[in-house]
Amino acid sequence: MRWGMVINLAKCTRCHGCIAACRIEHFLPLRMTWPRLIALETDDGFSVDVSTYPVRCNQCKEAPCVEVCPTEASYKREDGIVAIDSNKCFGCRYCVIACPYQNRTYLSRKRNPNYFPEHAKTGFEKKGKQIYPHQVGTTEKCNFCMERIDAGLAKGLKPGIDREATPACVNICQARALTFGDLDDPNSNVSKLIREKNGFVLHDEYGTEPSVYYIDYKLGGAPSNKAPIEAQTGSHIQHLSSVYAPSKEKLAKKNAD
Amino acid sequence: MNARTARQWMVTHEWMIKPMAQTEWISGKGLLVWWAEVFSALGTGLYLVSIFFALREEFAVTAFWAGILGWIGIAIFKLPLHAFYLGKWYRFWRAFPPFSKAWRTSWFARGIVMTMIFLVFGAIQLILQGLIAYDVADSSGVWAANYVFMVLAGIFGVMTAVYCGFAMSYCKSVPFWNTGLLPIVFLLMGVADGLALIMGVGMVTGEDVIPTAESATRILLIVNALLIIMYLVNANYQSATAELSVKELVRGRVAWVFWLGIVLLGIIVPLVVSVVSYFTGEEASTGLLVFAIICHTIGAFSLKYGVLKVGIYRPILPKGRAY
Repeated sequence: MRWGMVINLAKCTRCHGCIAACRIEHFLPLRMTWPRLIALETDDGFSVDVSTYPVRCNQCKEAPCVEVCPTEASYKREDGIVAIDSNKCFGCRYCVIACPYQNRTYLSRKRNPNYFPEHAKTGFEKKGKQIYPHQVGTTEKCNFCMERIDAGLAKGLKPGIDREATPACVNICQARALTFGDLDDPNSNVSKLIREKNGFVLHDEYGTEPSVYYIDYKLGGAPSNKAPIEAQTGSHIQHLSSVYAPSKEKLAKKNAD
Repeated sequence: MNARTARQWMVTHEWMIKPMAQTEWISGKGLLVWWAEVFSALGTGLYLVSIFFALREEFAVTAFWAGILGWIGIAIFKLPLHAFYLGKWYRFWRAFPPFSKAWRTSWFARGIVMTMIFLVFGAIQLILQGLIAYDVADSSGVWAANYVFMVLAGIFGVMTAVYCGFAMSYCKSVPFWNTGLLPIVFLLMGVADGLALIMGVGMVTGEDVIPTAESATRILLIVNALLIIMYLVNANYQSATAELSVKELVRGRVAWVFWLGIVLLGIIVPLVVSVVSYFTGEEASTGLLVFAIICHTIGAFSLKYGVLKVGIYRPILPKGRAY
């Protein structure tokens, strides 16, 4: 069994829901983000096109972060999830540098202020300290919501199928761009998607064998992966156009041509 | 859009899309790593040079004090600086066997273990060297024991000198470091620094170590200059990100560190001083030697700073740009 995730970029509407769900699920400190949404701008001189990519820990099979960890705080579980034992981590940040995907974050004091820095902790923060304590001076990253998976499996549920056993980001994704399942099972939803839609991993050449796959028209190459225009919500397009609008010079040049 | 929103979008947009410099080991508290690495090079370099001079009886006192200084560089400066950098320094013991088996894969864990073994063997060797240097016990047994611990401490000293190079070269995420040349550069530059520093120790003890140290420095500085050129040329053709690191080091914001610190003060000035004394047949004046030693030490600080500062991550999206 090896848990994996498929991210269909053609379906992703860049709503940041996965990031919010993760923050709530793990009571993340104010300046800590486990999954990220990064934007790639391609500019051919006439038009600016923006593609966004949800990224998170790739839970690599050959994880450099596990190999470099001097205290064995980073370890690999039998189900393929790379986890961190915060009680063992001494905060050398070697894993942060060694991760080729830069998906580990060191929790410094600066990253851990109150949600409202001038005020006392909110009830949410106080509860979070009890339920999911984060240790300042250690490294953190996405763990595929392993607590949910473990609790779900104990109840006989199936991760990726039953919501209670599925990572929070996958549950919240309103466009169903995220799919979770067993990569070792050829009939699982993730294996089928990877096969049918030309799923690919980031930086395959590193030999890290990531467990997070992407489906994308531009990078994946299969025309069937192209996002239909209606997949983009109106508000989202409006928002992006306000942020990434071409410059006046480029517009003038385009009109002149 | 207010400034805060714009900044947040900017960060999202820039993050790992374009090549991004590592900051963990060079900015803020990361400066401690830089200093620790410098003391690692200076300490091990000086100790290794000291055991070379300890082989000759007439340099026994210089070798003893140089060894002491090298040992202190590691024990009093390098290790505590590394420890202060850690987020949870009091968990330092977790890297040691038998609490951890991480030394099998982690260069960081290996380095910590090697450093501790080096310090133990080094301390024993220095006690024996002290007995010989000050004629407290000069029997053949003490000499033999000194040789044995010289070899043992020397081996672990070399490992202590090279492990940080290996730790950095292991990182595929930073192509500029991801080369086998890095540990060699660090080791040889450290030995050259040690040769410079032992001249200073020789001036204090009054033993005539300078001619020997100068002739070795002359060769080593030329070798180091060639090695650095080879390292940069290799990185330049290795990948687009490594090429960017080279450009940043040679022509970018860190160029002054490279040209002034590494090239001029670290290599050219000490080399000119030693070459001039070679051709004139006379030893350089004390003032000039002290100046050359200071320049050499600044070069050691500059080398580590430059290499750490231009460590640039390869962008996360492989086909987005040509990195």
